[in-house]
Amino acid sequence: MVDNLLSVKGLSKSFGSGKILDSINLDVGKGDVIAIIGPSGAGKTTLLRCISFLERADAGYMAFADKEYSLHDAPRKDILDFRRKTGFVFQNYNLFLNRTAIGNITEGLIIARKMPKAEAEAKGMELLRKVGLEDKAGSYPSELSGGQQQRIAIARAMASDPLMIFFDEPTSALDPELTGEVLSVMRQLADDGMTMLVVTHELGFAENVSDRVIFMENGIVVEDAPSGKFFSEPEKERTKEFLATFIER
Amino acid sequence: MISERLMDILIDSFWNILLPGLTMTIPLTFISFAIAMVIAVAVALVQFAGIKVLKEIARFYVWVIRGTPLLVQLFVVFYGLPNIGILIDPFPAAVIVFSINEGAYSAETIRAALEAVPKGQMEAGECVGMTYLQIIRRIVLPQALRIAFPPLSNSLIAMVKDTSLAANITVTEMFMATQRIVARTYEPLALYIEVGLIYLLFCTVLARLQRIGEKRMGVYGR
Repeated sequence: MVDNLLSVKGLSKSFGSGKILDSINLDVGKGDVIAIIGPSGAGKTTLLRCISFLERADAGYMAFADKEYSLHDAPRKDILDFRRKTGFVFQNYNLFLNRTAIGNITEGLIIARKMPKAEAEAKGMELLRKVGLEDKAGSYPSELSGGQQQRIAIARAMASDPLMIFFDEPTSALDPELTGEVLSVMRQLADDGMTMLVVTHELGFAENVSDRVIFMENGIVVEDAPSGKFFSEPEKERTKEFLATFIER
Repeated sequence: MISERLMDILIDSFWNILLPGLTMTIPLTFISFAIAMVIAVAVALVQFAGIKVLKEIARFYVWVIRGTPLLVQLFVVFYGLPNIGILIDPFPAAVIVFSINEGAYSAETIRAALEAVPKGQMEAGECVGMTYLQIIRRIVLPQALRIAFPPLSNSLIAMVKDTSLAANITVTEMFMATQRIVARTYEPLALYIEVGLIYLLFCTVLARLQRIGEKRMGVYGR
C-alpha cells in the first residue's frame, strides 16, 4: 500500500433509520481502475456520492492527493477544491440541457477555471475527437442518443485533467448496443492510465477492464480482490452466490 | 342600424382612445412588467436557495400581495399614503402597484419553474467545479425562465387588461379616455365595445409575439 491517491476511512451514512453505509474503508492507488458491484440497495451509489460530497456522510474522512477532507462537514472551499481535481459521470448523463456538446465541456473550464475561451474550445474539440463525437460539437443534448450523451459526459469529466474520475452506473440507462460504445470509451480511458472508481452492473467490464473488484452488500464491503482472483476464486460464500446468479442468466 | 352620428363618434373616438393606449396603457404595462420580473426573479431565487430570513420575508410578501385585491392596493398607495405624507403622482403610483402586484404572482411562477429544472443539472454543475451562484446564473435560471415563459406571457397579457384599473386613480389610460367620451356622447354600448376591441388587438399582438418567442427558444429542444 504505497502512495494511495484516495483513502476513505470510516464512512457511514444513514437515511432515516436505515443504515446505508456502515463504516466503509477504501483505498485507491494512482492509476487503479476499480469496479464496485453488488445488488441494488447495497449502497454503491451512495458511497460514490458521499465521496464526491453530493451527499453529506454522517461520519468518515478521506485523504485525496495528499490532502485531508472530512466527509461529514468539509467546508465549501475544500469541496470545491476536491471537485476541481476530480470528474463525475452520472447514470443519466446530466448534460447541461441549455448547452451544446462542446458547451458542456467548456462550461466548467471557462467559468470555474477561468480558462480563455479559445483555449477551452480547442481542448473541447480534442476531447470530442477522443470520444468520437467531433461532428456533434454543435448539437444539444436533446438531439443526441443516450450513448452519445454519456460519451460527452465522459469528455466533460475529463476536461479538467482530473486525477480521478467517478462513474455512477454509467451504462445502466442505455440499451446494450449503446452500452458498448460507452464502455469502449471507458476502456480507452483506463488504458491511458486514468484512475477510475466505477459503480457498475457490467460484470464484463469489471472482469476485463478493472484491476480490482469490490463487492458490496447491505452497506458493507463483502469482498475486495484483484479482478482475476475475484472472478476465478472468490473467497466469500456470498460473492459466489452473487456471481452464480449472473452465470445462470 | 348604425346611424351616421354613431359612426362618426366611433371613428372620431378611435384615435382618442388608441392614443392613450399607446402613450399610457402600453408603457404602464411594459415598465411595470419589467420591474415585476426583477422582483420576481429575486423573490423566487431567495426561496429556491432557502436563504433564512429573506425566505420568510419573500413568503410574507407573496402572501399579502396575492391575498388582497389589486384595486385595494391601488387605493392604498394613491389615496391612502397621502395620509402619512407620501404623495405619489398617478402614473408612478400605478407603476409601483402593478410591479409589486405582478412581482408576487410571477415569483411563484418562476419558483415553480426553478424547481422543475432537473436536480441533476445542479449536481453536474457542482461536479465540474462551478460555484452555486455560477450554476444558478448560467445553467438553472436560464432553463427555468424558458419553462416559465408561457405562463409569464400569460401574466403579461393579463396585465394589459388590468391596467384599466388605473383609471380609478386618475391615470388617463385607454379606459378612462373612453369613459370621458361616453360622458360626452351617451353611447356607452358602442364605445365600451370599441375599447374592448382595442384591448383585444393589443393582446392579439402579444400572443403572436409569445408564439414567436417560444419558437425561438425551442432551439435546444426537449
